[in-house]
Amino acid sequence: MPMIGEEQRMTPDRPHEFPSLGDSHVLLTGATGFLGQATLEKLLSAHPGVRVSVLIRPRGGTSAQRRFDGLLRKPVFRTMRERIGEDELRRIAAERVNVIEGDLGEVTLPSDIDVVIHGASTVSFDPPIDEAFRTNVSGVVTLYEALHKAGADPHVVHVSTAYVAGVRKGVVPEARLDHGVDWRTELGEALAAHADVERDSRRPEVLRKSMARAQGEHRKAGPQSVVAAAEEARQAWVTERLVDYGRARAQSLGWPDVYTFTKALGERAAEELWGERRLSIVRPAIVESSLRHPYPGWIDGYKMADPLIIAYGRGVLPEFPGLPDSVVDIIPVDLVVNATIAVAATPPERGTPGYFHVGSGSRNPLSFRGLYENVRDYFRRHPMPAGERGHIRVPQWRFPGSRQVEMMLSSSERATSAAERALLRLPASAKTREWMTAVHRQQTNLDFLRRYSDLYQAYTKAEVIYDDSRTHALHRTVPADRVDEHGFDPSVIDWEHYLQEVHSPSVTELMRGFSKGRGGGRKSADPVLPERTDVAAVFDLEGTIIASNLIESYLWARLSSMPRSQWSGELADLARSLPRYLRAERRDRGDFVRAFLRRYQGADVAELNALVKDVLGEAVLQRVMPEAVRRIRAHRAAGHKTILITGTIDVFVEPLATLFDEVVASRMHERDGRLTGYLDAPPLVDEARAAWLRRHAADTGLDLSQSYAYADSYSDRPLLEAVGNANAVNPDPSLYRHAKRKHWRIHEWGAHTRGRGDVLIDTVGARSAR
Amino acid sequence: MSRPGFVLDVDERTPPLVVHQGEGFRLERLPLGSKVIYPPDSLPGIRDVDAAIRNALLHPHGTEPLPELLRAGMRLTIVFDDLSLPLPQMQTPDVRQRIIEHVLEMAAAKGVDDVELIAANALHRRMTPAELRRTVGDRVFRAFFPEHLKNHDAEDRDNLLHMGKTRHGEDVEINRRAAESDLIVYVNITLTAMSGGAKSVSVGLASYRSLRHHHNVHTLRHSNSFNDPPNSAMHHSYERMKGLIDEHVKVFTIETTLNNDTFPSSMGFLNKREWEWNVRDQATYLGVKRANELMPKKTRRRIWQNTAAPYGVTGVHAGLQSEVHPLTLQNVHRQQRTEVNGQSDIAIYGLPYICPYNVNSVMNPILVMSLGLGYFFNLYMNKPIVRQGGVAIFYHPVPNEFHPVHHPSYIDFFEEILTESTDPVLLETKYEEQFATDPWYIQLYRNSYAYHGVHPFYMWYWGAHALEHLGDVIFVGGNRKTTARMGFRSATTLADALEMAKDTVGGSPSISYLHAPPLALADVR
Repeated sequence: MPMIGEEQRMTPDRPHEFPSLGDSHVLLTGATGFLGQATLEKLLSAHPGVRVSVLIRPRGGTSAQRRFDGLLRKPVFRTMRERIGEDELRRIAAERVNVIEGDLGEVTLPSDIDVVIHGASTVSFDPPIDEAFRTNVSGVVTLYEALHKAGADPHVVHVSTAYVAGVRKGVVPEARLDHGVDWRTELGEALAAHADVERDSRRPEVLRKSMARAQGEHRKAGPQSVVAAAEEARQAWVTERLVDYGRARAQSLGWPDVYTFTKALGERAAEELWGERRLSIVRPAIVESSLRHPYPGWIDGYKMADPLIIAYGRGVLPEFPGLPDSVVDIIPVDLVVNATIAVAATPPERGTPGYFHVGSGSRNPLSFRGLYENVRDYFRRHPMPAGERGHIRVPQWRFPGSRQVEMMLSSSERATSAAERALLRLPASAKTREWMTAVHRQQTNLDFLRRYSDLYQAYTKAEVIYDDSRTHALHRTVPADRVDEHGFDPSVIDWEHYLQEVHSPSVTELMRGFSKGRGGGRKSADPVLPERTDVAAVFDLEGTIIASNLIESYLWARLSSMPRSQWSGELADLARSLPRYLRAERRDRGDFVRAFLRRYQGADVAELNALVKDVLGEAVLQRVMPEAVRRIRAHRAAGHKTILITGTIDVFVEPLATLFDEVVASRMHERDGRLTGYLDAPPLVDEARAAWLRRHAADTGLDLSQSYAYADSYSDRPLLEAVGNANAVNPDPSLYRHAKRKHWRIHEWGAHTRGRGDVLIDTVGARSAR
Repeated sequence: MSRPGFVLDVDERTPPLVVHQGEGFRLERLPLGSKVIYPPDSLPGIRDVDAAIRNALLHPHGTEPLPELLRAGMRLTIVFDDLSLPLPQMQTPDVRQRIIEHVLEMAAAKGVDDVELIAANALHRRMTPAELRRTVGDRVFRAFFPEHLKNHDAEDRDNLLHMGKTRHGEDVEINRRAAESDLIVYVNITLTAMSGGAKSVSVGLASYRSLRHHHNVHTLRHSNSFNDPPNSAMHHSYERMKGLIDEHVKVFTIETTLNNDTFPSSMGFLNKREWEWNVRDQATYLGVKRANELMPKKTRRRIWQNTAAPYGVTGVHAGLQSEVHPLTLQNVHRQQRTEVNGQSDIAIYGLPYICPYNVNSVMNPILVMSLGLGYFFNLYMNKPIVRQGGVAIFYHPVPNEFHPVHHPSYIDFFEEILTESTDPVLLETKYEEQFATDPWYIQLYRNSYAYHGVHPFYMWYWGAHALEHLGDVIFVGGNRKTTARMGFRSATTLADALEMAKDTVGGSPSISYLHAPPLALADVR
């Protein structure tokens, strides 16, 4: 047991009576954050004399005052609202809260500030390095500059985190961090890293690589889609590199991640810039939902442990790397708020900053295993609903050790990405989509696991205790009758009660509501189409309205117009050419259309028209998907303009033409009553469709953002992206993946459509029966 | 002389009995004491059908012989029953072909050149060229198709003639070419007591405007049953319309009736009573049943649809419709009528693979409903075989299958209308007009091979009388989703169905099983 330092045991500057903020003027930064909201609420509800200034940045056109008004409507004020009423709350807020709009760097702070509670910080553990430094280090610098400028001399309570101690074992004292890293150098380099990485990302080797990848995946959707994807990939690469810069630098200096690294340097900056005045540093551990105040279970969004709890409840965390006996230092937010306010009310001597750990690890430790068991028991008693399949059964963890979990994880990752690559090459079918969904789900789960197991290594494998003697000494000054309201002793937490009755119900509430909202079924009914005349419903033909394709309709036409004796020759020739067509199709839809339509060279126009009228029209209708027709008609009934865009030649569209206000099809060039095998104009495929649609919308006054499009192939992605309501119909694997990511509606149509072979036999049979 | 119809009381010695169940059948052991209604044995067919036809044309009832009605320069229209008759289709040559050939021969002899042949398909789908060829025969088809052998088009406004209204205010609007002919020769097959007679011209050649006066919920609820014309409000309406038609145009009717040889010899056991099966019948039963189950779905459907009945013709009568039809009905009754003593609490029906609207097509759930609650339930005279408030148990898988070309409006009816309500009156008042006048359905009816948009509504009305009469409807082996959508229940076995029926009819109900096909018409006393 390491010795506790002299200065921690002796607190001569802390009188042994309950300190109060009295009628101080408190400046609160980060008031809209989790801890900030709770602090503001507590100051307003339990410290009637205190005046508060909050610093709020306007966001997305919402002014600071409006954001603050919004804050008053949040659940954190629910108890207070119920107690004193909406109007009284507003009155108190108007009277006691001064909203300062803007950034620390640009505003003028009031000069009469007594206390600053600096809670602003990044919420993410792995932001890009420049972003982390800007908030957690530059933010601190700016604060003190602003205070100097205002001529104020307050007691500053700097909210940090217990994990600034970095990767270490044993007991960490409440004292100045022991490291020699120069924060100014690190800050400068971090901010410069952005420019370096941006420059790197523009190197031709990097660009070519992302271009090649984008080509492979997006060529079918057209050239603009390829470059857009490549640029998107470059930006993603920049972010990823900067995140990596941060993580690597942090780990090279002994911190688990860039968050704790920058928070540690932030402390150093505060000590340097304000250490000669009155400075207290509060270091909470893992802050989670309230124990009691404002009401048990209050939380704002998901905190650190919550994604894991939910993932576990959904049955997707088979194991997690972590030591069963390591201490998970969780502390309810209301205890942190009470401690922070108590610290704020007890300024230290000038020039001797005070340090306070707020956690549960030292007085009431919760082991990783204890956390797991409580959460497991909670989900066994209250399993998450699984739609029509009843409830989810949660897995049993065996804590096999991080090496094994890591091995399991990386082999699963390899298998899934191989499976996805294979699936993307398969043709579109309900089965392929089912497999895609399974792989997609598996991948999401793995990504999640990977992300959190990397991130949380330090927190779930920690063999470290944060000493909290000074914090506890402060707690003991709280009079017995006020402990419930102002105390912050972690030993009052009954973990079983807190985890099973308070925290888990609170964090799963949102998810449960979500599952219920989906009605249990996977398929939700089609939304009602609003009646209006300024929107369009655009449909692709092949694969979307009819189940057949160019080759199929060619076979109908060709075989029913030639004697049976010549069929084998024609079929053999088609079979020989198929690989060529398939290659063209992979490369570019337009190439395929051009190449294939050459087969019509020499066909008699009059005969083809007669054929369509006699039998081919019927074949088209047999291959129609009734759901598509119903949908087109529903759009029409709602007053929408129905548009058909297809690369097929116009004669084959004839039987369906009356369903549409506008038909855009290919026309074949003819000479002397025969087709030449060439098109009159380039076929309307991939981006050309979107371009046509935009032009058409501009000419006719259609509102594309409210319009609808339906298509089945990845080459239609630009068309689908051109409208507000994109619908993927029996999508091919690439489009399916894209639609899933974009949360587009996905339809499975064609339940009553007749089979390809049946229709071919009927069609050529009907003709030769004449 | 064939044996008359017969009601079997099920006792310990009764073997399991054949029950049809869509594209298949099974042997089912019925509870002791159940009554089984069998039609009379199949009547012998006329040996020389051609001679009978010639004789009928030359010695008609109530009018001059056909040759005397024919003269050069006249407009002659030959109208024939469409694909919905008979069921299953008959082995070629079709009796309609034989009659048409005789009529055309006589017309040619008299120098008649202006001859048109029209299929009386009303709002049914058009017959395909192959189907027309099968019905009228090669020779006629080659000579007349496509210019002078056509389907009736009830949406061709220019080719319809509104003849006026009946004294009940019913519009009579039929095919203009037929209406403006000097003579209509109507070639009919009367398979059940509801067809033929006044129905032929007034329904087969009519338009929606005219049909709506009798194809509606009110009329069907007052047609008890529609297989018993004197008690059928629908037939009263047909008669009024026919009266008006007779004032405008002369109709020479030729009606034929068929015997009960419904299944070909390879499935001869289906025409026989089970306890009379010999070893061969039992072996074929086992073989056919097993093969049927093993076959892929598509092949099975094709084989059933290609099955043609070796019907014998039991009567050919020609002349004035009002004098011909009573003779025809006598023949139908001779073949199908069985006297039954009293109603029961539960009626059981085995629904076969075919109904009038799925020839060469798919039996969709709505057609199953109309076959069961319409056609089979109404195979009675006087009273239904099941009492008011009783339970009907049907055997059919009711698969969720539709033919996209033949029944497009059915799909929408099933997905969009039945999800709103199954009440025939509500559907009729709220949605019928919309489906009937929908231009897309009209286009498909006229140019493709689709039933008219309003047709699924008619199918639903067909069951309106049964829906009102019955306390519960259960489908043994029925798809849960489709039966529930239509407001019915499904059971896995007969035992389950009887258990479910308990709520409605108690623990020891009386049971009647209408053993058909071959068709039986229960005359309930």
